[in-house]
Amino acid sequence: MSAEADIAASGKPLLTVEHLTMRFGGLVAIDDVSFQAADERITSIIGPNGAGKTTVFNCLTGFYKPDVGRLVLHHPNGDFLLERMEGFLIARNASIARTFQNIRLFPRMTVLENLIVAQHNVLMRASAFTLGGLLGSARYRDAEEEAVDLARYWLDRMGLTDQADWEAGNLPYGDQRRLEIARAMCTKPVLLCLDEPAAGLNLRESAELNELLVFIRDEHRIGLLLVEHDMSVVMGISDHIVVLDYGRKISDGTPDFVRNDPAVIRAYLGEEEDGEEGYG
Amino acid sequence: MAATPAIKPFDFPDMFKEAGAAAIVVFALAFAMVGFRTEPVPGGLGITLRFADVAMASVIAFAGRIALILLREGRPFPVLLTTLPFAVILGALLLADQALASENGSGFEPVLPFSSPVVNWMIVIVAAVFAGRAAWAVRHARSTVTAEEREATMDRIGARVQQVARYAGPLLIGFALVLPFLPIADRRLLDIAILVVTYIMLGWGLNIVVGLAGLLDLGYVAFYAVGAYSYALLAQYFDMGFWVCLPFAGIMAAFAGILLGFPVLGLRGDYLAIVTLGFGEMVRIILLNWYKFTKGPDGISGIPRPSFFGLPFTRYPAEGTVSFHGFFGLTYTPLDRIIFLYYLILALALATNVFTLRIRKLPVGRAWEALREDETACRALGINPRNTKLTAFSIGAMFAGFGGSFFATRQGFISPESFTFIESAVILAIVVLGGMGSQIGVVLAAILLIGMPEFFRELHQFRMLAFGAAMVLIMVWRPAGLLAHREPTLRLSATKRLAKAVP
Repeated sequence: MSAEADIAASGKPLLTVEHLTMRFGGLVAIDDVSFQAADERITSIIGPNGAGKTTVFNCLTGFYKPDVGRLVLHHPNGDFLLERMEGFLIARNASIARTFQNIRLFPRMTVLENLIVAQHNVLMRASAFTLGGLLGSARYRDAEEEAVDLARYWLDRMGLTDQADWEAGNLPYGDQRRLEIARAMCTKPVLLCLDEPAAGLNLRESAELNELLVFIRDEHRIGLLLVEHDMSVVMGISDHIVVLDYGRKISDGTPDFVRNDPAVIRAYLGEEEDGEEGYG
Repeated sequence: MAATPAIKPFDFPDMFKEAGAAAIVVFALAFAMVGFRTEPVPGGLGITLRFADVAMASVIAFAGRIALILLREGRPFPVLLTTLPFAVILGALLLADQALASENGSGFEPVLPFSSPVVNWMIVIVAAVFAGRAAWAVRHARSTVTAEEREATMDRIGARVQQVARYAGPLLIGFALVLPFLPIADRRLLDIAILVVTYIMLGWGLNIVVGLAGLLDLGYVAFYAVGAYSYALLAQYFDMGFWVCLPFAGIMAAFAGILLGFPVLGLRGDYLAIVTLGFGEMVRIILLNWYKFTKGPDGISGIPRPSFFGLPFTRYPAEGTVSFHGFFGLTYTPLDRIIFLYYLILALALATNVFTLRIRKLPVGRAWEALREDETACRALGINPRNTKLTAFSIGAMFAGFGGSFFATRQGFISPESFTFIESAVILAIVVLGGMGSQIGVVLAAILLIGMPEFFRELHQFRMLAFGAAMVLIMVWRPAGLLAHREPTLRLSATKRLAKAVP
């Protein structure tokens, strides 16, 4: 637990979660969880099924309202208290982007359109809230070109350029996962939250995912927050791991620290059987 | 499904048993419902017995069932051989019968299966459909089409029609523009054309809400009513003219859309449909009961007719004014005003279309479509679902308001009776039938659903029946609508080609 100090030293804090508690009726899904995620670092939240990982995510991104706790995003424009913001405002103003465990694309829109919709707020302003766009203003045309350029950058990076005009729903599964990440990145976030991005990917694809996430961290210099089951992803690229069990934080530190933490081995990894953790 | 093309051993008794069962069911149903018909006779109700029709219905059910079984079992040939001549001969007989009947009052009645020409025609159509399916099966050595194949084919057709529409659209508009001056254009045709174009406009307006934003609105006619009453009441109380009131009517309807939108934003799908249905009825009932303001069921009459930039369409203009025909030195015909109304609604409809086509390619239009696809994902991307839905609702309502004020000025009289739920249902049917989001589909569906019934007024009592049957068929065959095919709002390939052409 003392490793928390190491984390704070390794990068400036981007997200501070304090005493987060979330109850569903009598069930306490998250019980007094506090942790920090640093800027330009990959922070992973792991834990057995039902440990409350996705609930933490949903509290962060405004899909749930936490019962207790403070969620602070240290944005370049100032701090945002996420627990007080509506979901879409968290994405718009606090610049937190997320992906979903079960992919949520706009299946009947094309790949390119998915990436353009992600830039809605920028384009909306450029089109003077539709009026300028209706009249064909030059400002909107330039903004749309820029939006297409950003989309093209991510399409190239994801290797989806040839499929740009496909309906997103027709893409293979792995491509859909990557497109969802590209769509989230098109919102130009300061914190990217990924809910089990490796779920359903094969070995090669999940290696590519590792590479992509490291690329995002190093080239785009933003913080990443990851919920993941796949240990090859978690241990391979995380700078910092938070372990939850039954809604409580049981460990927090570097991958090496967590791997050797007896509390984690006992509660999460089982009876010293490495590799068993990936089920479910 | 059937992997073996070889003809399976065939169970004839079984076939007759199944067909017999169908015939018995039909007989049991028809015996009471068709066999006895109450008719007003002097001094009360009399009963006409129509057992010939009952027998005929059973026979046709029997034969039709056999045809179905044969198709199912992969023996389309006999079906084709019997149904095709049957459809052709019966169709020819019916045509001849109509011609004869119009000449000397009686035709081939005794040979026809039913006394009602509508039912006879329906049988012809069903036989033709059977023949078509059998012909298809003979050609492809298969009797069934999988759902995916049908979807793919229909989507290709939809895409093709949209492609053609790009060139045919201007032609259609050109035709619409010269229509009043064609020799076929008489008062009746123009009236029907005005009606059809009105519904096309309403369909295009509702398409924004249902087709693009995916919000199922069953109370669209409420906004139509708001627009109509806005104009009628402004004209009555403040003596305002049509052109001043037109934007007001749109604004009032848009405002009503926001008013409805606010409380129901959280609802999705079926729930939204129910609430909008309720809203439609509320508006109608308020109009009906607020007697002091709206004159309730008496309606508002004497709504001013539109003028041509201040020139009225009257034979004898009031003292000190010049009428349209006087100004242009034409001889007066009452058709002038009809033609003007026709152009007016055509312009309004085209404006709706241009607006929709443009806004689809703007961020708000894309956000509507994204919202239809996945609201949760939209929220995660920072799109404000409330405002986005409200814009869709209010813009759709605004066009209904324009349409409503046109309706008021055309009729000269409005009452709540014109704004019943059935109108909402018809407009929604046009959108759904045409293919949600498809502009050309709305045009075809409006012609089909509004124009055809107007031309075949005689069929009036069967109109709703055919309507329902068409909707059921669409739901089974192609839930997305006939010509549903989504054209992307922008393509990378188009912009890339430009970039490549530079070096």
